[in-house]
Amino acid sequence: MNPKLERILPRVQKPARYTGGEYNEIIKDKAQVDTRFALCFPDTYEIGMSNLGLRILYGVINEMDGVWCERCFAPWGDMEEELRSNHIPLYGLESGDALNQFDIVGFSLGYEMAFTNVLNMLDLAGIPIHCTERGNDDPIIVAGGTCAVNSEPLADFIDVFFLGEGEEVDCELIELYRQCRKEGFDRKEFLIRAAQIPGCYVPALYQVDYLPDGTVARITPTHGAPAQVTKRIIRDLDKSYFPTHTIIPSTEIVHDRVMLELFRGCIRGCRFCQAGYCYRPVRPKSVDVLVQQGIEACKDSGYQEMTLSSLSSSDYRGLTAVCDGLLEYCEPRNINLNLPSLRADGFSMSIMERLQKARKSSVTFAPEAGTQRLRDAINKNVTEEDLLTSCRTVFEGGCSAVKLYFMLGLPTETDEDVKGIADLAQKVYWTWRDYSSNRQRGIRITVSTSFFVPKPFTPFQWESQISMEEYQRRVDLLRSCIHNKSIQYNWHEADTSYVEAVLARGDRRLGKAIEQVWRTGGKMDSWSDYFSFQRWLDAFEAVGINPDFYARRERRKCEVLPWSMIDVGVRQDYLWQEREQAYKSVITPDCRVRCMGCGANKLLPGGVCDEDRR
Amino acid sequence: MAMHKNRLLFKKEGRAVYISHLDLMATFQRAFLRSGINVWQTEGFNRHVYVSIALPLSVGYSSDCEILEFNLEDDIPLSQVPERLNRALPEGITVLSCYEAKIPLKKIVDLGWTVTMEYDNGVPEGAAEGFRALLSRESCVIRKKSKKAKRGYTELDIIPMVKEWTLEEGEHTLVFRARIAALNPGLNPSLILDTFAKDHPEWTPDFVRCHRNEVYGEMAEVFR
Repeated sequence: MNPKLERILPRVQKPARYTGGEYNEIIKDKAQVDTRFALCFPDTYEIGMSNLGLRILYGVINEMDGVWCERCFAPWGDMEEELRSNHIPLYGLESGDALNQFDIVGFSLGYEMAFTNVLNMLDLAGIPIHCTERGNDDPIIVAGGTCAVNSEPLADFIDVFFLGEGEEVDCELIELYRQCRKEGFDRKEFLIRAAQIPGCYVPALYQVDYLPDGTVARITPTHGAPAQVTKRIIRDLDKSYFPTHTIIPSTEIVHDRVMLELFRGCIRGCRFCQAGYCYRPVRPKSVDVLVQQGIEACKDSGYQEMTLSSLSSSDYRGLTAVCDGLLEYCEPRNINLNLPSLRADGFSMSIMERLQKARKSSVTFAPEAGTQRLRDAINKNVTEEDLLTSCRTVFEGGCSAVKLYFMLGLPTETDEDVKGIADLAQKVYWTWRDYSSNRQRGIRITVSTSFFVPKPFTPFQWESQISMEEYQRRVDLLRSCIHNKSIQYNWHEADTSYVEAVLARGDRRLGKAIEQVWRTGGKMDSWSDYFSFQRWLDAFEAVGINPDFYARRERRKCEVLPWSMIDVGVRQDYLWQEREQAYKSVITPDCRVRCMGCGANKLLPGGVCDEDRR
Repeated sequence: MAMHKNRLLFKKEGRAVYISHLDLMATFQRAFLRSGINVWQTEGFNRHVYVSIALPLSVGYSSDCEILEFNLEDDIPLSQVPERLNRALPEGITVLSCYEAKIPLKKIVDLGWTVTMEYDNGVPEGAAEGFRALLSRESCVIRKKSKKAKRGYTELDIIPMVKEWTLEEGEHTLVFRARIAALNPGLNPSLILDTFAKDHPEWTPDFVRCHRNEVYGEMAEVFR
């Protein structure tokens, strides 16, 4: 271990975050390695190591001969201070070597509020933050993840964005890098060639012009880059890599358990949900593969807990069979199966009860909106009856705590919808009173509201976010409607969601603001310990950007959106049509009931998704 | 609770010294499951592999002599356990032996320590003498933080707790070796260093390595 590091670790909190050395960590002989890849997660070790995508890419890249992929996470403030004052550059956990010695440095972008950490990590690594300042000897900086669908705010800092699922495209880019190095590496030439790989977006190769009103006039590809970059998907998940043999941290992380991915994509089409549109089409894994991988992962990890993950697990056709297959192995070995992301319906409740040997004391539902009208408008096809029936089932089973998640500020929301949240919570209370198997224990109903953030590639991408004052008024209105002592109301602060709304639909001019925030001390913005709203407001002002232009402005249909060069499969006119349906409170059936022709099927050979459809 | 049947003797070194006591227990629980060795699990709703580590080691300290207790449920030779477990453990944690517990843990009296004080610019003049002088005192009462005591601290005479000590003086290091009380109350060597440097900040080492090298019983015999 670096002797300097040895000196500072005893002084920081949770030093095990910064050491590597975990079970199943991959160490390669540097003499056999020609290309080194740093997989960076712009948040803490505990959050990053809980990310399944990171584990998949770590495994996939390390399967390449001659390529060594290492991990790097954002240091907490105490460690950052020590690194800076002791002149230790940010390093890969496996080798301890400085990130600026790597060939390619990749970031996983799951959340806009992590953007400042990307800059901070580059700087801590001794890598110039701007693409234009980097030379042939500096690493290539790449990024992928959900936020890459609108990566424009980071266009100044990232050389190549990966769109969609990274398992294949990451390796293709690495191969191109090796090829270019053989031929005599030239950074610019490499980036021009990278833009030819499907799913690679090289922002520097696109010229963006603006209209006098500040909106985008046109986006012009240069150097032969494609006018539209289409996201990548893995066609056959059964055949793709899955990390059954994966790093087991020696310190507690957020999701300290086996994670088993049931399927990708979602059939539902909730109109606020970016993941629901961006991860289409639906591609299930087969029951046998899941059971086998789940068992292998348990054996290899020693975990006594497993989570089946997806965007909406009740929609997995073989759910009962997978659960039965896994339970056969797990039950005698005291391994608990968790099944989050279930819909509030009878089938889900019965399967959940089967999995839970111990009574579950707390259950979470996300009706998202308080009235049927608004739930129809956002296409969240959960009825009050579904919810109350599900509540009845869990109350009869002895459940004594229910969490209900809602959003405030959804398009078309009225005061009636806000009050409807309180009414719904009250009905949940009555359901408990009528059906609880143990009234003595009491009930705790927690209502939480978040502030709706319109996201690119959703039917609400054209919407204005409501003002923070209006959000607060609706919070106060809802508070005034809740009189029951068993119902507790929590609401998110508006300021983070406002900044998130600015960044989510931002263009590349926002890079200056992000840089200014970082230069004035901004980092770890998803942590209330660090987030400063005033710092963001000051930064917007300093660089002459009106944040309302991004968060609060309704876009016209004809407007060139800053992410127009990106194609996630779902067509823009489909999204517009869904928006119009929202204003009519007309629901759209899920993909299994009827294919609405959103366009995502074209990403698959033969143009058929979810092939078991009958 | 009845005494546990089996013990492991293991080393903790290198990058593993930063694994905390609680995390180390989780690491062993998983390692047992990975190794396929059947170990007694707790009863109740949230069943898990039962392990217990004697005398928690501070984060950052290394050791040659950690003791973990568990109950083996398989009928396998104990001699197979170290090898199978070591394949399932992270770097830096090595099981040296597995055996039947004979003497209860409360019979542990002392721990053997090697404390290396590193001075980048050479050992300051007078530091070695100062250290010897401290340990040669009749008594030296210090305050030790305590969560239980009403005052928030307890008073402790460290002199009788430090037994059979030596101090080796190098150009850049002072190496303190000692047998130190382990239990009821035990003394963390860092408290000796704090006391030593309290009146002489210039004697504060640039870095200190604490290494536990042996566990002793009542008659200063090696405890297993």
